[in-house]
Amino acid sequence: MSDALTTGANREKDDPVLEVEGLRKRFGGLVATDDASFAVERGEITALIGPNGAGKSTIFNLVSGFYEPDAGTVRVDGTDVTGKQPHEIADEGLVRTFQTPRKLEGMTVREAMLVGAGDQPGESFLKLFTDAAGVAAAERANVEAAHEMLERFEIGHLATQPATDLSGGQMKLVELARAMLAEPELLLLDEPVAGVNPTLANTLSDHIARLNDDGVTVCLIEHDMEFVMNLADPVIVLDRGSVLVEGSPDAVRADDRVIDAYLGGESA
Amino acid sequence: MSLRERYGGMTRAEQGVSLFVCGFTALLVVALLTGGLTPSYTLYLAGLTGMYVLLSLGLNAQWGYTGLINFSVAAFFGLGAYGAALVTASNSPLAIPGGVLVGLVLAVVGSAVVATAIAIPTLRLRADYLAIASLGLAEVVRQIVLNQRDWTNGSGGLRGIPDVFAGWPVLGPLPGELPGLQFAEYAVGIPGLFRIRVLGFTLGEPFWTDLLNFVAVVVFVAAVYLLLRRVHRSPWGRVLRTIRSDEELASALGKDTYAFKLQSFVLGSVVMALGGVFYAYLVAYVDPGDLEPINTFYVWIAVILGGSGSNRGAMFGGFVVVAIREGTRFASDILPARLPVDVPVLVDVYGAIVSDFGSTRLLIVGLLIVLVMRLRPEGVLPPQRELLWPSALEETDE
Ligand SMILES: Nc1ncnc2c1ncn2[C@@H]1O[C@H](COP(=O)(O)OP(=O)(O)O)[C@@H](O)[C@H]1O
Ligand SMILES: [Mg+2]
Repeated sequence: MSDALTTGANREKDDPVLEVEGLRKRFGGLVATDDASFAVERGEITALIGPNGAGKSTIFNLVSGFYEPDAGTVRVDGTDVTGKQPHEIADEGLVRTFQTPRKLEGMTVREAMLVGAGDQPGESFLKLFTDAAGVAAAERANVEAAHEMLERFEIGHLATQPATDLSGGQMKLVELARAMLAEPELLLLDEPVAGVNPTLANTLSDHIARLNDDGVTVCLIEHDMEFVMNLADPVIVLDRGSVLVEGSPDAVRADDRVIDAYLGGESA
Repeated sequence: MSLRERYGGMTRAEQGVSLFVCGFTALLVVALLTGGLTPSYTLYLAGLTGMYVLLSLGLNAQWGYTGLINFSVAAFFGLGAYGAALVTASNSPLAIPGGVLVGLVLAVVGSAVVATAIAIPTLRLRADYLAIASLGLAEVVRQIVLNQRDWTNGSGGLRGIPDVFAGWPVLGPLPGELPGLQFAEYAVGIPGLFRIRVLGFTLGEPFWTDLLNFVAVVVFVAAVYLLLRRVHRSPWGRVLRTIRSDEELASALGKDTYAFKLQSFVLGSVVMALGGVFYAYLVAYVDPGDLEPINTFYVWIAVILGGSGSNRGAMFGGFVVVAIREGTRFASDILPARLPVDVPVLVDVYGAIVSDFGSTRLLIVGLLIVLVMRLRPEGVLPPQRELLWPSALEETDE
């Protein structure tokens, strides 16, 4: 990995899992994403940072299919997914979390976890009747996997708690654990530590690093520059809907344009 | 497990509901024995309950599982009722021999097709569009039935619908072959205090026919309930519950929410149509009055009261709605038209209540809803805390 800083994104990556090209989205008169292009290299933790309102969440929504782009393309693992439905993009191996944690009413934590598992035979209405044994076997395996995953995130004791009774930080952990049950190629995390106390933020940071060691490619959004400095490399800086610079954390932190963007963003 | 242990293992709500249902049933039996209710009417009530239970179960599979708002319960009920009536009623030009099975198939297929037709354009849009479209559908179905007179006989309705098993090999002639049971009249009581006459009726062929109809309803309700319970606690049902809570989350996790919503909507509509089919055989007569929006309203009450998302709750809700509908009818018959004591305002209020029991019924329903929403917003029997495929837990914990 080089210490170099590129103006705009570094587009020369060997094995990108995600490629975004010329993405554009406007809301009325506001251009939220303005010709954004970048790539996420396999096996790395790439951070997308930028001041509030820079368009980070909008990019995630465009990439994961929740918004329809006005222009541009998105490729996951070489497959063009532009304009596809969120569930189709998830099937390509891209799993995202949301900036505000989503609660599942009336479910226990492990039930909420089980929704994450992909390719469940029991999700076919017919198979519930034609292949009850297969459904039961898959469900048993998934329940076991859910318990294991919760253990890995050190929240095994929450398994049978109501999913709505969790603290904000526990919810973030469950979301992360659930996303992992889906066995993603690429994990998109929108502000994984927003509103979480510093101790838990460190725990989450460790978990993300460990997932990455296990081979999961991560792309995360963060508003707080300090948090990503120890975790991510490279860092892509967004400002007013397009990519300003990309580089190593230290190089990005020292760049005047980045400092200006943050200062400008904060004073606006 | 003994009955006592079973009762002890229930939640308080379950105990309350069991006591209520048992008490109410006991009341019916007493009324039956003392001549307050005829045997046929009692069976009719039971059949009506089964019909409402089917409607509530159907709506619960849409609103309770998935959060889909369907204001055309009466329309799907009507598709079932008219589907059955058109091929069997004596004054229907389309009646065919052996129409009972055809009617059932017609109702199931017809309701599935209509449900799909209305769901496809609306389910991709925001949730309110389905609600609006379904409101329209209810009126469209009602108007078609009213105006397509050469088939439906318009507001006159279709009559002479045979019994479920009419013309069947064994079950058809069975009621006529069963012996008439005569119950002699007895007088019971405590000497000097009170005396009432009990029994004193004959159970003949009409009774056996009604009983057979009732058994058919019970079998169908039980089968539908077991099917719904199975799918509700399956991974399929779990996706529906996720959609109800947070559709975006479901799609972010790779679930084709549109397909799941469509399945849930069609399933619920078919169950409602089954309710309609049974209604047609139960009362042997259908008319467009059955398709009034008020019937949709009653079913919504049943589901919300019972506890959205709970199959048992929907069954209980259906029971309560029949208790209110028929109970108030009963009350209006036995209450004196005037208050015996002469208190100025009270007399007027009482007079208004008794003279117009249709409105009073709505008043009671309204009060009940306000009470439940205040005291127990999740309904009387909300869904269980965890719904997992039963055999999936055997090896982990418990
Ligand atoms: N659905 C939407 N409708 C209208 N404006 C939106 C919508 N989503 C985002 N925006 C606007 O786009 C800009 C970028 O928002 P966002 O992507 O959430 O920023 P960030 O996540 O970087 O803080 C903001 O000005 C925001 O108000
Ligand atoms: Mg954001």
